[in-house]
Amino acid sequence: MVHEYQNLRRVYLGIVIGLFIILVARLAYLQIFSWDTYYRESERNRVRDVVIEAPRGLLLDRNGEIMVDNRPAYSVSVIPYEFLESQSATSLLASILNESSVELVKAVRKEKIGNFSAVKVKRHIDFSVLSSIEEYRLDLPGVFYAVDSKRYYPAGIRAPHLFGYLSEITRDELSQVEDREYRMGDLIGKNGIEIIYEPYLRGQSGVKYIEVDVLGREVRELPELAGSSPQSGKNLYMTIDADVQRYLEKAMEGKRGAAVVLDPSNGEVLAIMSKPDYDPEIFSNPLTPEIWSALINNEEHPLYNRACQSLYPPGSIYKLVLAAAGLETGLIELEETVTCYGSYRLGRRQFKCWKEKGHGEVNLLDAIQQSCNVYFYKKGLDVGLANWSKFSRFFRFGSKTGIDLPNEGSGLVPDAVYFDAKYGVKKWTRGLTLNLAVGQGELLTTPLQMAYFAMIVGNEGTAFRPHLVRKIEDPNTGESIEPGRERRQIVGISKSTYRTIKQGMYLVVNGPHGTGRASWVRGLNVCGKTGTAQNPHGNSHAWFIGFAPKDNPKIAFCVMVENGGGGGAVAAPIARGILTTYFRDNQLALGQ
Amino acid sequence: MSAIRNFDVGLVIAVVLLITFGLTAIYSATYVGEKQTEFTKQLLWAVLGLVVLTAVVVTPLKSYYKNAYLLYGLSVILLVVVLFVGKGAGTRRWIALGPAWIQPAEFAKIGTLLALSRYLSNEHRKLDNLRELTVAFAIAFVPLALVMKQPDLGSALVFLALVLPVLHWAGLSPAILFVLLAPLASLLSAFNYYSFLIVMILLSVTFLLCQRGLTFFLVNFIINIGVGILTPIVWNLLKEYQKNRILTFLGLVRDPHGLGYQVIQSKVAIGSGGLLGKGFLDGTQTHLRFLPEQHTDFIFCVIGEEFGFIGVFLVLALFFYLVVKGIRISTSVKSKFSSVVVFGATIIFLFQIFVNIGMTVGIMPVTGLPLPFLSYGGSSLLANLILVGLILNASRKRFEYL
Repeated sequence: MVHEYQNLRRVYLGIVIGLFIILVARLAYLQIFSWDTYYRESERNRVRDVVIEAPRGLLLDRNGEIMVDNRPAYSVSVIPYEFLESQSATSLLASILNESSVELVKAVRKEKIGNFSAVKVKRHIDFSVLSSIEEYRLDLPGVFYAVDSKRYYPAGIRAPHLFGYLSEITRDELSQVEDREYRMGDLIGKNGIEIIYEPYLRGQSGVKYIEVDVLGREVRELPELAGSSPQSGKNLYMTIDADVQRYLEKAMEGKRGAAVVLDPSNGEVLAIMSKPDYDPEIFSNPLTPEIWSALINNEEHPLYNRACQSLYPPGSIYKLVLAAAGLETGLIELEETVTCYGSYRLGRRQFKCWKEKGHGEVNLLDAIQQSCNVYFYKKGLDVGLANWSKFSRFFRFGSKTGIDLPNEGSGLVPDAVYFDAKYGVKKWTRGLTLNLAVGQGELLTTPLQMAYFAMIVGNEGTAFRPHLVRKIEDPNTGESIEPGRERRQIVGISKSTYRTIKQGMYLVVNGPHGTGRASWVRGLNVCGKTGTAQNPHGNSHAWFIGFAPKDNPKIAFCVMVENGGGGGAVAAPIARGILTTYFRDNQLALGQ
Repeated sequence: MSAIRNFDVGLVIAVVLLITFGLTAIYSATYVGEKQTEFTKQLLWAVLGLVVLTAVVVTPLKSYYKNAYLLYGLSVILLVVVLFVGKGAGTRRWIALGPAWIQPAEFAKIGTLLALSRYLSNEHRKLDNLRELTVAFAIAFVPLALVMKQPDLGSALVFLALVLPVLHWAGLSPAILFVLLAPLASLLSAFNYYSFLIVMILLSVTFLLCQRGLTFFLVNFIINIGVGILTPIVWNLLKEYQKNRILTFLGLVRDPHGLGYQVIQSKVAIGSGGLLGKGFLDGTQTHLRFLPEQHTDFIFCVIGEEFGFIGVFLVLALFFYLVVKGIRISTSVKSKFSSVVVFGATIIFLFQIFVNIGMTVGIMPVTGLPLPFLSYGGSSLLANLILVGLILNASRKRFEYL
């Protein structure tokens, strides 16, 4: 056997040597003899993968009007390999973009991943920049511009607190996202609907392969290398009524404040507004420290979402909660009256009513209609802090409503435990209760919570989670999902209590002495409550909440104007505008 | 310890160096920034593979002999299973076991090798009769056919390439070998009447010279004519892309924008590397993800472009060392079974190396065969390490009869 093997061994060793010599020879031919041919070729025909961004989903109002759309925009990108090598490219591009070349190079070095992946250096460039880049192509190796898209707002509604905006993903965010779908330079939703519904709105990018020359300029597309088509993001049919929203944009212009309008039958948010706001476009390009600090330090705090993030004392509208607590516990009787002489004395202090001369003898319905403080001061003491806190919590004050917007505030419902902690046990007095009775003091709510409360009263005990999207549609397949409504039953308060409060609210708008008559609408049984919340920094905050019509309400709302003055004078007229706008276009709603 | 004595350290070092080259190339080829999933996966497979290799080395050779047919049977079953539940882009090549996907074809190579070796090492084997030859071919052709069905032409060819040299090694006479190879000549010349005529004449003369009688001559003659007639028919049954691959390779179809594109880019990448290469992570062609198989079938291009002729020569030297070692070991072991196993494993390596590198430099058609130890792929790496384990095992025990 051994001898046979010797022969065989020689044969096969010979074959092996032969094969390897062939390979080595061929490689030497390619890499040594033909090196310059292939090197030149490699300089000429390189392949790049280009990401094709998918169109982002649109936001439409409840009637199908497009509120947030996409529009083509140009952006400038560089391929680090060619760009950083060239002195002329870096300084020329920097001057075209009006930036310092040192900063530009630093940013590219910092953002790049490898030398061959494109880095976006500026988005949404204008035409003059584009034409300069085109003109100086030959001196800008590695620089190219491409079309992508930016958001625009065809319905005339900017509402950055509602919609949010798009901005480039940061390295931190990139590491948190599991999906390899995101790359540096991608836009991601920040704030508002754009961030909450990011997974739906963002489509799936496609990729195509192009051949580029040594300067990184596209030579031709390569269809033979199979790329992939982009998939559009899903469109959101929102619950917003664009007409109401537009009305609020105008009505609140120049003011500071918020408005929230809900459909009480399902919790759909018909409008939500916070002013002042800002131009979301400032976030398209990386913020300079100057712009950012200008925003943060702006005294008007435009970044706050006053509708659901900021907290305010609600003032007189909160008297309704006390009324509910009293009726339910039997500590308030309908016919019982209190005489208001303009102030109430507790200990050594005088607590004023807003009408100097007093309201005279008033029962519950009168007190609600005319918003008498004295009645509620007295009843506040009768009902007591514990009951008041308990019923506040029944109405879900102090908790978030669960709306699909980020950073919702929960508000604050103080109770004995809270005051003990804050002031010390037995170091606080019933005077605090008095303040809370009229919605002042440590009590804090959001306008959203107040609209939610209006919904509860209007529905006589049923609440629905406020939500902003009624349908999510995939434009690629036509399939859609509807999130539907989420019902929550409010316990602890009986129908008769609700009916009484409703009657009081009806009188606020329709009664002869109602403080909210400015929101009266013919043929619509509007119910409401005014609030004028004092605050130490200036004028009172003007509040008005309500719903309409009285039975089976179709709309519930809250309007708040910061430092606006009287609720009846300032906020109620805006509410009227909401109602006329909504019902003018909704004959169906009025008919019922 | 006898476990350490006779252990061929050189071989292990060579393999580890090759794997390292592979990891480096994979890192570069799949570089997208922070996440390096392919590199990490390959590293994990390598570690697992080395553990498995150790297990393979310490298992007594007798076990392989005893279980050869069993292992063969299992691998065939897996090949059948994958045809039903397999995944792959338009093919059924992988079985998904959670995060790991395994490729039965790779392991079937081992099973087939063991079964074939066992069958051929039987002391009563004469290998000069039809029955024995049929069995031998059947052992190889069953998995070949199953793999072809996936379809995976490249891997199927490995089975074919395995069978003839192994038979030769096991004692097949050159005459019979010739008889078996003759149809290949017929096949290749069947596309042209004149070339076919010339080849038939040459073959017929040689058959006569074998002096084995009329039956012998007639049978062979008919077989070769038959192949010549059947080939054009089979050609027309081939899928379009398969035809194109072959034609492009032969240079009969110039399609620089289609299938030829891959090979052109491959040559450009390698050629432009020059003597010293462009440097790690600086390969312009590599980094452009021009081939979806860049980190698998065309991994050699990365070495060529980034490390130049020096790098490529080193890799080839390591492969050369591996193959020559294999042949040496297969001639120095005492048991026939071990000898055939080692030889067969070496042939598997040789075939894959030559076909893969040949493809990247344009002297072989594009077949999708991975390059041992370098291409990304857990199953391939693991299977190849098992084969190395078998070689090491045999080498340790070379003084023993089975």
